[in-house]
Amino acid sequence: MLHKIARKIDQHNPVEVVDAHCDIPCGIYDPHLALIGALTVIRMIDLIDGLVEAHSDTIDAEYLNSMARYVAVKEEHAELTKHEIRVIWGDFIKDQHIESYPQLSGLVHKILQLGSKARQTVDRESGVALLEAVNEFAEIFWQIKGKETKRVAAPFPVTDEIVVPLL
Amino acid sequence: MVRLLKVRGSSLWPDFREGDYVLAADVPFPAGKIKTGDVIVFQQPGYGTLLKRVHRVLEGGQFFEVRGTQIASTDSRNFGAVPRKRVHSKVIWHIRNHSDRKN
Repeated sequence: MLHKIARKIDQHNPVEVVDAHCDIPCGIYDPHLALIGALTVIRMIDLIDGLVEAHSDTIDAEYLNSMARYVAVKEEHAELTKHEIRVIWGDFIKDQHIESYPQLSGLVHKILQLGSKARQTVDRESGVALLEAVNEFAEIFWQIKGKETKRVAAPFPVTDEIVVPLL
Repeated sequence: MVRLLKVRGSSLWPDFREGDYVLAADVPFPAGKIKTGDVIVFQQPGYGTLLKRVHRVLEGGQFFEVRGTQIASTDSRNFGAVPRKRVHSKVIWHIRNHSDRKN
């Protein structure tokens, strides 16, 4: 009741705002890079599988070079996904967000574990699970930001769905 | 004079939440001294008008060490004690946004 009255006053004659800030954040957070990382993991697994199939009889320098590159990029992008999620989790997500989305802690833990799985294996299902977990995180992130989202097919060689904000 | 102010940020969460309002009495005010536990409004260069809780009163009430409730809160651990001359007012009434709170 009192809050309604205060809000009415504020609407008609805006009151001064007092800041109860936390850190001095850059304010620029976006799970987009985490999604790109997860998509890249899937792409590298596909390339690794394709290379193994194409070189079933021969292991030559070209094969070894390509395989080394695919594995290195898979490692790098799984780690990129984990890094981006850790930053948003540590710097952007606050206690009140965890109160509103109690599944967040478990979801972040799941992403970090799936990120490790993506480095350890060439299991495509795990890569897809990583992408899905990051998509769920992205949906919550944009809900916190007050933005609606939709899922669209990624416009890349890997066309799995990704969450994008309606800005 | 008593002012109506609006809270922004989560440094004092869960006591004070974004969108809450407070009534703050100007300093000096007849209600007495600022003491530990009071929530004050002050000007902090580089940060603007801030709302924080008094953690300790220093030098006979000339300075105030202020704290937020969060690990990441920006408070006296970042910018030192707040001199009395920069304190505008003290919160005397907290108007909570109950619609934003869960049971």
